[in-house]
Formats: sequence, C-alpha cells, structure tokens
Amino acid sequence: MNWTLVLPELVLALAGLAALVAGVLPKRDTSFAINMGVFGAMLLAAVLVMAQPEGTAFAGQYVSDAFTRFMKLLVLAGAALGLLVAMDWNVKEGLAKFEFPLLLLFSSLGMMVMVSANDLIALYLGLELLSLSLYVIAAFNRDSERSAEAGLKYFILGSLASGLLLYGASLIYGFAGSTNFDRIADAVSATEGVPFGLVVGLVFVLAALAFKVSAVPFHMWTPDVYEGAPTPVTAFFASAPKVAAIALLTRVAAGPFGELVEQWQQVLILASLGSMILGALAAIGQKNIKRLMAYSSIGHIGYALMGLAVGSDLGIRGLLLYMAIYLFTNVGAFAVLVAMRRNGRALEGIDDLAGLGRTDPAMALAMTVFMLSMAGIPPLAGFFGKLYVFLAAVYGGYWTLAVVGVLTSAVSAYYYLRVIKVMYFDAGEALDARPTSLSVVLAGTGLFTVFFFAFPAPFLAAAQAAVAALVG
Amino acid sequence: MLTIGLGHYLTVSAILFVLGVLGIFLNRKNVIVILMSIELLLLSVNLNMVAFSAALQDLTGQVFALFILTVAAAEAAIGLAIVVIYFRNRGSIEVEDISTLKG
Amino acid sequence: MTQPLLANYFPILVFLAIAAGIAVAMVGGSVLAARQKPYAEKVSAYECGFEPFDDTRRRFDVRFYLVAILFIIFDLEVAFLFPWAVALGDIGWLGFLSMMAFLGVLTVGFIYEWRKGALDWE
Repeated sequence: MNWTLVLPELVLALAGLAALVAGVLPKRDTSFAINMGVFGAMLLAAVLVMAQPEGTAFAGQYVSDAFTRFMKLLVLAGAALGLLVAMDWNVKEGLAKFEFPLLLLFSSLGMMVMVSANDLIALYLGLELLSLSLYVIAAFNRDSERSAEAGLKYFILGSLASGLLLYGASLIYGFAGSTNFDRIADAVSATEGVPFGLVVGLVFVLAALAFKVSAVPFHMWTPDVYEGAPTPVTAFFASAPKVAAIALLTRVAAGPFGELVEQWQQVLILASLGSMILGALAAIGQKNIKRLMAYSSIGHIGYALMGLAVGSDLGIRGLLLYMAIYLFTNVGAFAVLVAMRRNGRALEGIDDLAGLGRTDPAMALAMTVFMLSMAGIPPLAGFFGKLYVFLAAVYGGYWTLAVVGVLTSAVSAYYYLRVIKVMYFDAGEALDARPTSLSVVLAGTGLFTVFFFAFPAPFLAAAQAAVAALVG
Repeated sequence: MLTIGLGHYLTVSAILFVLGVLGIFLNRKNVIVILMSIELLLLSVNLNMVAFSAALQDLTGQVFALFILTVAAAEAAIGLAIVVIYFRNRGSIEVEDISTLKG
Repeated sequence: MTQPLLANYFPILVFLAIAAGIAVAMVGGSVLAARQKPYAEKVSAYECGFEPFDDTRRRFDVRFYLVAILFIIFDLEVAFLFPWAVALGDIGWLGFLSMMAFLGVLTVGFIYEWRKGALDWE
C-alpha cells in the first residue's frame, strides 16, 4: 500500500476532522481560527501535491501523475481563493460559522479524489463528497428564501445527475466486467468489438458530467443556483468544482474510453456548440450580474469543451490552459461582485456598478481587465486561453467549432463591454470600502490576467506534461 | 420452465430507473415525492450492480452497491435538511412554488 | 439454475411460516397466560405519540425530521460493520484498523451533533 501517494488527501481529511472537533468544542466563536486553519491546510496540501510521487495506489484505484498534479493545484488554488473571498462577506452577512471553511475543505477533498480517481467507485465517492458539500453550501444562508431555493434546486437536479452517472457506471461495470479504468480500457479496445451496453453507459456518464460542468443541454440549474446562492458561494461554484469536473470528464473520455473517440466526440461537439451559443445569447438581456456570470460561465465551459471535443493532444492542452486562466479570471471578477455593497447591503444589479470608474478607480480597472479577458481581448490571459483551443480546432479541421467560437466571442464581448460602460459612463454612488482580503485577491488575479502573456512558458510546460501523462 | 436471468433484472432495474426519472419531471405536487424518486433511482442502480455482480461472479458490484447505499443515506439526510429549511422560509413545499429565481 | 422457479423461493416460504408461527405464539401466549385488564389509557396509542389509525397526512413536529436525519446516517454504519465482523479473520490488521478509522470518523460526527445540541429534544 502506497500511503505517501495520498498524503495531501490524508492531510486534508485529518485537518477537516480536527477542525470539526476544534470548532465545536469551545464555547466561544471559533470561525476565524478555523478559517485560518483551513486556509493553512489547503496551502500545506498544495505543497504536498507538488512533492507527490507518481504512480498508483489502492490496487490501481488511485492514480497520481502530472495531470492530477496540475488539476489538484488549480482546485486547491480555487478553493483557497474562494475562502479568502468569502471571509469578510460571511462576517458582514452574519454567516461567519466555522462550518463554511470546513465545507470548502471537504469539497476540495472530494475534488482531489475526483481528479485522482482511476476507478468508478473512487470517481463516484469523490464526486458525491463534492456534491454533498456543495448542496449544503448553496443553502448556507438558512434565513434567505433564495438561498434555500437555490440549495433545493441544486440538490434535486444534482441528485438526478448522480443517478444518471451511477446508472451509466453500472452498465459500464456490467459490460466491461470491472470498475477499474485500465480494465475498462482493455475491454473497450478488445478486438471483437465494443458491446453496445458500454456505449450506452458512457453516454449516461457523459450526460451526468456535462450536468456537473453545466454544459448545454444540462445547464438549466446554473442561472437559478448562481443567483440564489450567497455571492462568495457562487464564486466558488463557478471556479474550482468546474475545474475538477472538467478534469474528470477529460480523464474518463481520454483514458478508458480513448478508443471510442468517435462515439463521445459527437456528444461533446454538440455540447460545446450549444454552450457557446447559449452563453453568448442568453446573457445579453440580464440585469442581475450573478445571472450574467452564470451564462458567461456556461459559455466558457463551451470553449473549454471545444478543446476536448477536438480529441487531440493539442486540444486537451488548450483545455487545461483554458481552465487555469478561466479559474483565476473568474475568481477575480467575483471578488468585485462580493465587494459590491452599499450602506451595508449587498448588491447584485449591473446598474449598481454605475460610477465605479470614478468612485473606486482601482477596482473598476481590475473589473475592466477581467471583463476584457473573458471577452478574449489581447494581450490579456483570456485571449490566450481562447487562442489555444481555437488553434487546436483549426489544426484538427473542426472549422464549425472554431468559427462558432469566434462569432460567439464577438457576441459575448457586447455584454462584457456593457459592464465596463456602466462602470465608466453612468453616474452612481460610491460603494462601501472594500476589505483587504478582497484587495489581495483582486491584485493577485488581476496581475495574473494582465501579465500572463509575459510568462506563459511554465503554464504551457505544465499543461504539456499533464497531457503527456494523460494520453501516455 | 422459467428461470430468472440477468436480462430480467436489468429490465426491472431499467423500469424502476425510468419511473424515478419520470417521478422527478412529471411530479407537480410535493418535494418529498421527488426525494422518494431520487431514492428509487439509486435503488434501481443497486439492483443493476448486484445483478451484474452475480452474473460476472465478481464482488466489486456488491461493494459498489454498499457504497451507493451509504451515500444515498447521506444524500437523503441532506435533502431532508434542505427541504426543512426551505419550508421554514417559505411555508410550503409545493413544487410549483419553487419559482422565486427566474430570469 | 435448472431448478423450477418456485423451488428457488422455498426458503422464503419456510421463513414466512416460521415468522407466522412465532407471531401467533407470542400473541396467543399473551392472551392465554397474562391477565387482561384493559382501560382507556392502556389501549391508547404509544407509538411516537400518534394514533395508530388516523389520517396519515397530518402535520407533526419538525424535530422528528432531525431525529430521522441523524438516524439515517448512523444506522448505515451497521451495513459496513456486519460484513467486516464476518470477514475479520481474513482481512487482518489493515482491515481492523480501517474499520477503527471509519468508526473514528463517525465519532467525530457524533461529537459534532452532540455539541451542536441536535440530541436535545427541548
């Protein structure tokens, strides 16, 4: 048994259990200490992930390689940033309970298991650990009708997706004779043809994972849940879990089912096209900025899936870079939304950003950078993310994908630019002073977005190594 | 002479699964019914797992079924808890009332 | 597999017969041996304080939900404990310690719900 392979996960799990006891035993309020402890545990886990040896553990159920390392670092970064973004908001909204960082920690643990899963059972357990934490955290503001409704909707549709995933998993198990990804790969590449049940199972699993990344046609929960959940929770939803679910989707599609590329390619191309088009069109008329970001995230998942749908190494590399860039840009944009607060009340309308260019030029500049990056304006990071996946689509001869991608980018630029226009050309009152933690997040993600073009090499190298490990 | 084979189990499980999905989508009354439909989904999968496990002479399916049972319990607990806080805020768990968030 | 279908279900018939026999013996034994002295308080419902024959669509206290939720989580550990106990001889120290770790996690959960006051009725 190779215990050192799962050291980061063990550290997170033990830290979670310890924090649960430490948070509940003392009589006084422990939320700040637990926040700090969980943040520290995530950083420690990230350091351990970098030192994680490669190989498989638990009878081949668990795998660690360059791909898992890349994805786990992204996931941990997303979770840690999500925690930073949420801390001040929770205090102001009276939600500063120590359960919040714990739920983030357990969902990170679930995501790490998902990323490393090399077996259907491990995949399911990781996904459920993540999903159960997310259901609770969506309804975290117990006294808000909207938050409770977001939690309820997310729970019902999420459970349906879990059911689909399991049904697919049972068919895959039955027709491949094993739940291990390597054994499934053997069954898929068997010379006497692939059993039909295996393909049906794959379609079920893909549908469930498309739900988790909120790709069209399984996106309908996203706008409602994003709007209803507390804003920092939405920030977290839109970042780390998407990265983890994309990682899982990539692993399942390119790993055990790599031989069936013609089968899943069709599904992913349709999902990618649908997501890009819906993300561009549906966001146009929105007044609530969280809803706008929900549709924008659906669109971004469409661009990311384009990389996978192309089915080439280049495409997967583009996908990984796209997710990395999307994660940081998105967290930054949401940090601005979390800071939107006037006279102590949280705001969600796009109009509430009016006048920000005059009242808080630094934050307006940061928001401008994030919006332009999401629209794909060079030389910001988002441009390179799109460039890599579009190039992969063109090299692979998927002109429809590339052309639709460029067109929808142009359409979506309209609503990103509208946000900028509201900030600089409309008049409005000043927002409340933003807390230091948000300034730190804004500065960090903003600098990343602006200066990505100057040092893309380490990211490219890491993504290249990840693809090499995945495709073999 | 009739013997019950893998095909029969898979058919029953497929019927239960479809019933569960229909229960979620066609139900217009009560959220508790949706929770029950979700349980039905998971149990139909369990039937599949156990049937395959017996047919393949392989224990993995049964282990998977045990895990599904446990996770289903956790899921039901969380679902009930969310329904309770929803009811506290709203005073109703009619499906048609779950429509504050729209756009 | 070559047996007729019904023969497969013979053990269930035996089980039903034994169950019926035990039930009849217990109720019958109580009728024959015990003193019968019914009065209103004694024959009224005692199961969770509900009338046994009543409209099922009535409201009841939300605290029952909490108990139910906690119960679901903790009763399922038995589903793991039974196979573990049966196979303990074969799975060695690793198996033993795995279950101890599992029970440790459950204990942490129990401490949490106890300190949160979920076990107090009032």
